[in-house]
Amino acid sequence: MDQTRRQFLGSASAVAAAGLSVSSPLTGRAYAQGKKTVVLASMGPVTGNWDPTSHTTLGQLSFESFIFSHLTRSPMQEGKADEIQPDLATSWKLIDPNTLEFVLRKGVKFHDGKEFTAEDVKATMQYASQSSRPAAAWYPGPVDVEIVDPYTVRLHTEKYGYPASAYWFVASFLPMLSAKDVADPKTLEKRPNGTGPFKYIETDGDRNIIRANDDYYGGRPKIDEVVYAYVPDSNTRVLGLLNGQYQIIERLEPEQYQTLAKNPDVVVHRGLSTENKYLHFRCNKPPFDDVRIRQAACHAIDRQQILALMGDAAQPSSCYVSPMKWGFIDIPGYPDFNPELSQKLLADAGFPGGKGLPELEYITSIGFYAKTKEYGELIAAMLGEQGFNVKLSVLEPAAWEQAIYRRADGQGPGHMCDVGWITGSPEPDLVLRPNWDSKAALICGVNDPEIDAVLDKERNAATPDERIKILQTETFPMIAKKVPSFSLFSAVNFHGMSKNMKGVYFFPNGPIDLSKAELT
Amino acid sequence: MIFALDFFLRRLSQGVVIVLLVALLIFTLLRIVPGDPVRIMLGPMTSPSVMEETAKRLGLRDPIPFQFGRYLLQVVHGDFGHSFIRSAQGGSTGGSRGQDTFDTANRASVSELIRNTLPYSLLLAGLGVLFSLIIALPVGIAAGLNSGRWPDRVALYLSSVLVSLPNVWLGVVFILVFSAKTGWLPAIGYQGVSYAILPALVLAVELAPVMIRSISVSVASNLLENYVAVGQVRGLSRYRIITHHVLRNASIPLLNLLGIQIVGMLLGGLFVVEYIFNYPGIGLLMINAVFQRDFPIIQAVGILACVVLVCINIIVDFAATTIDRRLQY
Repeated sequence: MDQTRRQFLGSASAVAAAGLSVSSPLTGRAYAQGKKTVVLASMGPVTGNWDPTSHTTLGQLSFESFIFSHLTRSPMQEGKADEIQPDLATSWKLIDPNTLEFVLRKGVKFHDGKEFTAEDVKATMQYASQSSRPAAAWYPGPVDVEIVDPYTVRLHTEKYGYPASAYWFVASFLPMLSAKDVADPKTLEKRPNGTGPFKYIETDGDRNIIRANDDYYGGRPKIDEVVYAYVPDSNTRVLGLLNGQYQIIERLEPEQYQTLAKNPDVVVHRGLSTENKYLHFRCNKPPFDDVRIRQAACHAIDRQQILALMGDAAQPSSCYVSPMKWGFIDIPGYPDFNPELSQKLLADAGFPGGKGLPELEYITSIGFYAKTKEYGELIAAMLGEQGFNVKLSVLEPAAWEQAIYRRADGQGPGHMCDVGWITGSPEPDLVLRPNWDSKAALICGVNDPEIDAVLDKERNAATPDERIKILQTETFPMIAKKVPSFSLFSAVNFHGMSKNMKGVYFFPNGPIDLSKAELT
Repeated sequence: MIFALDFFLRRLSQGVVIVLLVALLIFTLLRIVPGDPVRIMLGPMTSPSVMEETAKRLGLRDPIPFQFGRYLLQVVHGDFGHSFIRSAQGGSTGGSRGQDTFDTANRASVSELIRNTLPYSLLLAGLGVLFSLIIALPVGIAAGLNSGRWPDRVALYLSSVLVSLPNVWLGVVFILVFSAKTGWLPAIGYQGVSYAILPALVLAVELAPVMIRSISVSVASNLLENYVAVGQVRGLSRYRIITHHVLRNASIPLLNLLGIQIVGMLLGGLFVVEYIFNYPGIGLLMINAVFQRDFPIIQAVGILACVVLVCINIIVDFAATTIDRRLQY
């Protein structure tokens, strides 16, 4: 078994060469030529479970928008947040406060060939609104759906104690599933089957491939194929756009947006988002269990300085929902920068000049939202000027996500948290209830019967006109008075795309509509 | 034969202890650092009670030694478990999945994920080493043969420049210059071998300085050995002495270098380079797993990396001993 050195080195080289040649099957994967393929570099991953009611993941919500349609369409444009357009429903009306009727489009088919009818609406709505579904928090509550005829449905909510108008905006957010799939959850999880402009083809690593739906009721898309690729690093997304591998990229950093705006080969898009950024106070522990301390902190913060730091990435707003949401108003009397008032409130609370206050931990993230660390430092300094002793904890996203939500004992670490809240419908309750209703209050932990009462009052209003009046004159002002959280500004989304992309529509909550887009 | 048996038995038993210690370290650290995988799995809307229930179901609330023992037993049976985050379809990273759909059948097997990504990383690592050898061999040998003269100084300056370039920056510059500006090479993702060239060049730039230094020092010191003078006295040509004796003897430190430093640097470099280039290898799998606190993947890749390092070291030591029987490891 003795080997000479020459034999040994010879064998080693052969093994190394064989090792390299093993990789050769990796070559030669080419995509078909002549097809109009758009590669969309997404910042959000998908879960791989294709049941839309099984998750609350942003990346998957965006992906689903290519495949599934909704009863109505909310473009959510600035100044026209309440605009609703027909989609799978051609008309809708409130029959009475607890009954909402939708008349459905005829001749629509699911990707598996089944015709879309009222039974699909009934199955979808009754399934998605079950409180046991993981995404149930998006929907107002259980609902009974009556099939009037194959193309007319009525939503009844009387039994569940809330008005049917709560589904007015949510109808443009809930993806319509096939009743056949709802009856067979395993199939529902395995592949997405909708009525939308693109059909799901396959998943290849972190790339999900969809193709144009020839039978789409809005007309076959001009783009043949979309590759929805998960690319976590924003620099990689930008470089992929610059070298032509990607045609659309999501979530640019503000600096990247400014750089790309000067590049003649790409087009950039800046759009207000449905997301506001909040400074949440932990209201269920000292010192922020005292409303005066919360108010003092709000009056210590000069939001103009934060906006100057954020540049293009933020838009001023003084409300608990974004201007893209129904009911938005700049709340009269929203806490402004007022150091004198801040000092007075601190003194009234027994902490003159901040003396006696404990060290306050302010939890924020890095690498998830734009400039959180930078404006976190600014806020900490501004609070420090009024006597607050603030320690800023900057966490990477996974640690931050664990830290911000309250635990089983109702408490969460730290005293303040920086969090945004983005939702895909003009419906304001999708923001208000998870954050400030004492039954949820996922982060701030506020437990205030007066806030609960004004939240219930706006939800139970008989008509949209009455509801918007309550929202703007009672609900928002009450939250602004109690400040369980301080809304800092409204966030802005940045996208980049190749200059030969035309007709792309960017929804303010993330999804991108390519049904009318062209790749020239 | 007895020597080989003794060598492998001794070194393998040492290796098993090292791997066990590293596995315990990774396992414990993951459970101590902040970031609860259950929050990422189930999403922001999940109630704390459901989170606790899921964590218990996954065994994450058991004492760490108990969890480690259970995990080891599983690994011994060849099962690295299932990803917390990635779906059985294998294509996705991400969480916020419903608690009632969170079952084993719906999650990707870690062994399969590693099997799918490993060939890409092997290709990249192989090309990286190849490119670095193409740079380092001529430069290093020339420097060693001309110690103190201009080739030596050129090698020193070149190594100093290359070692100072951070791979994160270099990756971005390479993509900008060789892909975005000139269109010479594709850069992001993987659709064929050409996609591995730019990331491999970044790896090569990282590896080459270490190789150049090792080769030049080794060649120069061998030239000072007695056997060179003896060879000249016996009438051997300088060319023959260098090609048949000096280079062969100088290859022993290079082998050690390959085993200890190069594989270690490759493992580290792959993570960064694959992330920048969105290259679908084991490094990108690992980085995403760290972001998502996907414990089973992090543990398996960590253990695998440790096993690779231990095995490479054993093989390199054996090879060195085979080349020069005077060496004992």
